[in-house]
Amino acid sequence: MLFYTWPFLIFLLIVLPVFFALQRTRWWLAWLAIASYFFYGWWNPYYLLLVAYSTVLDFCLVVLMDHCPRQRQRVDVLARLTRLRFDEPVLRNAFLVATLATLGSLTLTLAGPHTVRPAMVALGFICLLMALGALFRSRRTWLFISVANNLALLLFFKYARFVSENLNALLSWVHLSLKLPDPSTLMPFGLNYVLPVGISFFTFQSLSYTIDFYRGNVDRERNFLRFATFVCFFPQLMAGPIQRAKHLLPQLRQFPPFQLGNITDGLSLFLVGLFKKLAVANYLAFYVERVYDNPAACGAPALMLATFAFAWQIYCDFSGYTDMARGVARLMGFHLILNFNHPYLATGLGDFWTRWHISLSTWFRDYVYIPLGGNRRGPFNTYRNLLITFLISGFWHGAAWTFVIWGALHGAGVMLTRVLERSAIYRERVPRLFKQSWVFLYVCFAWIFFRAESLGDARLIVRRIFTAAWRDPQIPLLMLALVAGVWLYQFLYESRVRGFLRHGFVRVGLAVVIVLYLCLCSSGGGVFIYFQF
Amino acid sequence: MNEPSKDATATRSESQTAWDPVPFGATEVRLSARQWLLVWAILVGVAALTPWFWKKIERFDIPPDYRLPYTLSNDYWLYQRRLERITNPSAIVVLGDSMVWGEYVLPDGTLSHFLDRETGQPSRFINGGVNGLFPLALDGLDDYFGRPLRHRQIILHCNLLWMSSPKADLSAPKEQTFNHSRLVPQFFPKIPCYRADANERLTAVVEREVPFLAWVNHLQCAYFDQHSIPAWTLADDGRDPPHYPNSYRCPFAQITLRVPSAPDPDPQRGPQSPRHKPWFADGNQPTDFDWVPLDSSLQWHAFQHLVSRLQRRGDDVLVVLGPFNEHMIAQENLPAYRKTRDGMAAWLDQNHVAHVVPETLPSALYADASHPLTQGYELLAQRLCQSPEFQAWLK
Repeated sequence: MLFYTWPFLIFLLIVLPVFFALQRTRWWLAWLAIASYFFYGWWNPYYLLLVAYSTVLDFCLVVLMDHCPRQRQRVDVLARLTRLRFDEPVLRNAFLVATLATLGSLTLTLAGPHTVRPAMVALGFICLLMALGALFRSRRTWLFISVANNLALLLFFKYARFVSENLNALLSWVHLSLKLPDPSTLMPFGLNYVLPVGISFFTFQSLSYTIDFYRGNVDRERNFLRFATFVCFFPQLMAGPIQRAKHLLPQLRQFPPFQLGNITDGLSLFLVGLFKKLAVANYLAFYVERVYDNPAACGAPALMLATFAFAWQIYCDFSGYTDMARGVARLMGFHLILNFNHPYLATGLGDFWTRWHISLSTWFRDYVYIPLGGNRRGPFNTYRNLLITFLISGFWHGAAWTFVIWGALHGAGVMLTRVLERSAIYRERVPRLFKQSWVFLYVCFAWIFFRAESLGDARLIVRRIFTAAWRDPQIPLLMLALVAGVWLYQFLYESRVRGFLRHGFVRVGLAVVIVLYLCLCSSGGGVFIYFQF
Repeated sequence: MNEPSKDATATRSESQTAWDPVPFGATEVRLSARQWLLVWAILVGVAALTPWFWKKIERFDIPPDYRLPYTLSNDYWLYQRRLERITNPSAIVVLGDSMVWGEYVLPDGTLSHFLDRETGQPSRFINGGVNGLFPLALDGLDDYFGRPLRHRQIILHCNLLWMSSPKADLSAPKEQTFNHSRLVPQFFPKIPCYRADANERLTAVVEREVPFLAWVNHLQCAYFDQHSIPAWTLADDGRDPPHYPNSYRCPFAQITLRVPSAPDPDPQRGPQSPRHKPWFADGNQPTDFDWVPLDSSLQWHAFQHLVSRLQRRGDDVLVVLGPFNEHMIAQENLPAYRKTRDGMAAWLDQNHVAHVVPETLPSALYADASHPLTQGYELLAQRLCQSPEFQAWLK
């Protein structure tokens, strides 16, 4: 159910009135959870099992973590094992349940149907870890389970095929007959091996809660329904923005006050998102597809323009989705964080990442870069940490070497910017427009690797941009005008003319033009690019 | 990874509350309730007035024997406009599919043309056929765009071709694409072979209910080769390697404010065209048809529905059943065909609907199973005018 489709409108027209009607009852949260699960189940009901599993496990892990002391204490393991003497009944019960579940999984692994064995091995391992966590009263074990479980889900559904293909290629290269099975053969009950939509987003969101609780940054959420709603809140479930527990959970504690301003703000955000997606992103997609599907047949100008077009396509696609997500949430009175802030006006690569996919970049900053040491241990370690973080970020986007290279290019770009910005001449003398231009060109160059079908294609495109003939790119003028319009608007918005753009008449005129343009020139459907991540 | 820049927080909106630490949005196209009301008022005004105003400024020539050009078959807004332009109160509209429209013939070779000639009343019979229609779509076309047909005399042609197989009847379970899918019932009754997703179906429902969107479709059909404007700018010329002739054209220059007419001469139609020949000229033989029982036929139910609505609306309806090309039906299959045809006639009798069941035309006057050639239409018109039912109905 895409935001710009009629089924979603009907869905919303049912969800919103019921939601507001339930404001004086305690059922509004349940309604929100039901709506969110329905929304997700619309894609594929089997995906719901994954969300539910991830939610239940992380909720339970934090409950168990809460029953463990913050400081390490000596534990009489023998007494616990032989006489089940636990200080906390919760931990004793957890130990018993986890042990029994481990044994059950072991039994099913050995004697169960062939199709469930791999899943039972994984489940048995998680249960064994849980039994150990209960036995040792270790907060760190619970955190480890949460991290391992969420990453395992992500690894299996998103990266297993990539890993097995690469390892098999390596094994055959060194002439070993060993071969890893295709991940689809590991699916229980012969279910289809497909990437669940939004898995990277909801696992990260759930994970941030357990890590934040472990660090003492958030309180334990005692209401399971609230936590479940936090994980699967439908506006941001598919492609973010990734919310933090300390931001969204408090908003779910009480019914948001009904304000007319929320409705008008929600509509405003939604309209802008709709324009970005339907009018700009979907239109640009046609040209990008035409060129990138057959780069060998295109001249240098077409390849360059298609790369620029892709830069704007992905921006309008993703930020359009985010705007719509934030708009829908705002209609109900919830405030989701800003995810994009004119990234193509950034003056450095570091600046770019404070404007592009802000919820993800701050996630990686807080949970990868800073734990790695951040910028605390000298320039070398800082650059190393930056590079590692961006490599992981690239890999997060997709299971292909092109994404890893994309991440590496951004890591290198951020490092380069840092070096440049240390120089007073660069900081103070180089014109802002020049900085913005080179950053945009650099980002566009990196997008080649992001968009290309394969590493070979990416190399071909880069080579042809510099060597191919200058043939007519046949890019529609309307497309160029549209992109120029969006760019100009953003540029003006960050200039002194902002006051004029915020004038009531300009806003009204803009809204009217957007709606009419959508009616007359909408470019049809197409799923959001970031759904595949 | 850096700390959020000052820019990210600089866009904080003026009306943030204490528990709203989130900047509104990067672009701030933020409207108040009053501004939204103004926007909707403007949009409603534009949506209501534009189609009306367009009719005033767009030139739409309707010569004698006019029929909707083939390329504008999906332009239902124009179809409605054409019906609105019928000023003669005694005009008779001939409704139907490509048989009425004249698939193989020129405008002066159609049934309506020969009816005009036979009755000696020029421009009394209006060609209301649309290429590619079938009863399910015709029912929708009349329902959503046929309001100008109120209180008129209507000849409704029933083409038995649409009941000649489950596939033609659209009752086969296998998915298939067909013309005018936006006119068929999107949800009820269920069409088994129609597998559009919920969004496509709802889009069709909205488009046919909102005149402004039908007008937008008219623009696309009339000036942009049935594409949206962005798709038109990207359209290729079909050659290899492709060329994109519209890339640098200004879309606004395409809007000539003149409804396109059919190509003259039309190389695909008329006695001079290679398609205008008897059905057996290519070696076709009589075949078996898998006639769909009337009680389970979707197309027949739609046709019944259409007749009932026309009657309720105060129209004086005459149904012309066939004539199907019986020469093309295998001998052993003829009883099934006759049973279908007689069943239809019986229903029309029971419901007091005036109807004519014309005799089959000579074999050489058919181009295929249901479309006559020019001489076929001429003969059919003669026979219709001679039939007492027709004369009684014509008064």
